[in-house]
Amino acid sequence: MEEKNDSLADLQAWMQHALVHPEDLSAAGDADRLVLPSGALSPRQRLAIYQRGYYARLVQCLEGQFKVLCSTLGPPLFQDFAGAYLRECPSVSPTLSDLGERFADYLQQTRPDRDAGEKEPWVDFMVDLARFEWDLYRVFDARGHEGKPYAAFSVPDARIGLQPCIFLREYRFPVSGYYTAVAQGKEADVPDPDRHFVAFCRKDYRIGIFTLLAPQFYFLSVLQQGAEVSVALGLTVEKFGANPEKARSAWHEWKNKWTEAGFFIDRGALSD
Amino acid sequence: MPNLGLGLGLRSVHFDHILENRPEIAWFEAISENFMYSQGRPRYVLRRVAERYPVVLHGVSLSIGSTEALNLEYLRKLKTLAGEVGPQWISDHLCWTGVLGANTHDLLPLPLTEEALRHITGRIKQVQDFLERPLILENPSTYVSFAGSTIPEPEFLYLLTRETGCGLLLDVNNCYVTCFNSGYDPVAYIESLPHDRIVQIHLAGHQHCGTHIIDTHDRPVVAEVWKLFSLAWQRTGGVSTLLEWDSNIPPFEDCLDELHKAKAFMTAHPDLAFDDVRPEEREPALSTPIDFLVPEVLLSHRDE
Repeated sequence: MEEKNDSLADLQAWMQHALVHPEDLSAAGDADRLVLPSGALSPRQRLAIYQRGYYARLVQCLEGQFKVLCSTLGPPLFQDFAGAYLRECPSVSPTLSDLGERFADYLQQTRPDRDAGEKEPWVDFMVDLARFEWDLYRVFDARGHEGKPYAAFSVPDARIGLQPCIFLREYRFPVSGYYTAVAQGKEADVPDPDRHFVAFCRKDYRIGIFTLLAPQFYFLSVLQQGAEVSVALGLTVEKFGANPEKARSAWHEWKNKWTEAGFFIDRGALSD
Repeated sequence: MPNLGLGLGLRSVHFDHILENRPEIAWFEAISENFMYSQGRPRYVLRRVAERYPVVLHGVSLSIGSTEALNLEYLRKLKTLAGEVGPQWISDHLCWTGVLGANTHDLLPLPLTEEALRHITGRIKQVQDFLERPLILENPSTYVSFAGSTIPEPEFLYLLTRETGCGLLLDVNNCYVTCFNSGYDPVAYIESLPHDRIVQIHLAGHQHCGTHIIDTHDRPVVAEVWKLFSLAWQRTGGVSTLLEWDSNIPPFEDCLDELHKAKAFMTAHPDLAFDDVRPEEREPALSTPIDFLVPEVLLSHRDE
């Protein structure tokens, strides 16, 4: 940093740089000029209280947002990744809730095998796990349908729509079973790769995680775009080459389960 | 501003207890950022709490001292939340939290200079105009003091109140922490404040590291801070008082017990009450602010 740090703006830029980059000893050295010593601590020691707190606090926050990933990697390795992430992607949000927003992308972009021809599956799994935990975190705070009625099974198909707090996600590994087991304190092996479709559904502030078949995932995705059930079913039959009669029969089963889980709203009731 | 009595910081670990048991307590203070961005259960809980109790919104990211432009989207969300829960007042800290687009999520110290005073005065006026209410500013815990500072903190706070009409939230624990860390006299600090501008007092615990003190909010209030509370109570004539507990948070009833110790220090002879205050050994925690909300395990998992 330059010598002239006298304005408020310069002082704030210096201090923030010193917090985010404690390895920059010249920035820490400026503390001797800008900060007063206390009876017991030098200016650099006083600055170091903020430097330690900055990373410790935010890494602890990320450990809370990615509990299962932290447990899987082990805290020391997770803390290394988290620290590197915070250096590269400092928070830009007023809320700590957004802190982990770019973490999965960061892990993907900086994966240790990024220059290797063959990718390590375990890295893919860790990235998937980070995405899964972040998706779950978003569902927790997303706009929901609480306080309003959900659709009953008797609502005609033409009026069925997806409620707003359904997140449909695809992963490269069956990550939801692994997540659930570890979150409940059980032992679980890292699974082999296998395309994995999930619906997160929040109803009455409880989050349900539903593993889906590929046609179900496609059907719900079309429905989420605003299509009617008959259209979504038709497109699903077409895409998967299914028998239309069997598809209609399957839909009745799905409707029964998903209505109970709070997937649907009555679009007719909304427009009444 | 009304004297709300004795209140507690609203923390997620106590949500269920509060909703189910409706405990006898005068009021709650909610960390604004934990609710203003939520469209899920936290916001629902706060609305429910606000139906039954007076609430105050207490922010940690307004960054009133930052040289970055005020975040209008933040202010809009804060105002929207205030419209929903009707807080008695809105407070934040005399600090900055980030520049150059970043947020450190720490309550960073300001050089107390004429430049800073002019800068913050203008921003407080902007915020008050936007929110259409006075802002209440809290003295932060600080671990450094700047060589360039020219105005003592109590005088700085007085000048802000005079120029803007804002109120003060006196955190007596922060006062103790800052004064210890910088070699000031906390009694003189409190005596120098504009007592008629203080609308609220904060109480909290801290971690004494020998050479310095960290503001951790993870343990009971120490005797020295109770003594400062007693002084502040006398000088202000009694204002809304709130206990903050943010790490190693005990059950609600234990927090309430700690809060109710304050009653003994509101009397004319508070020394008698020190019999009740014993230091406790606890695991060290991080400095505040650290409270954030993560999804509780309200999960169900089904395979097709």
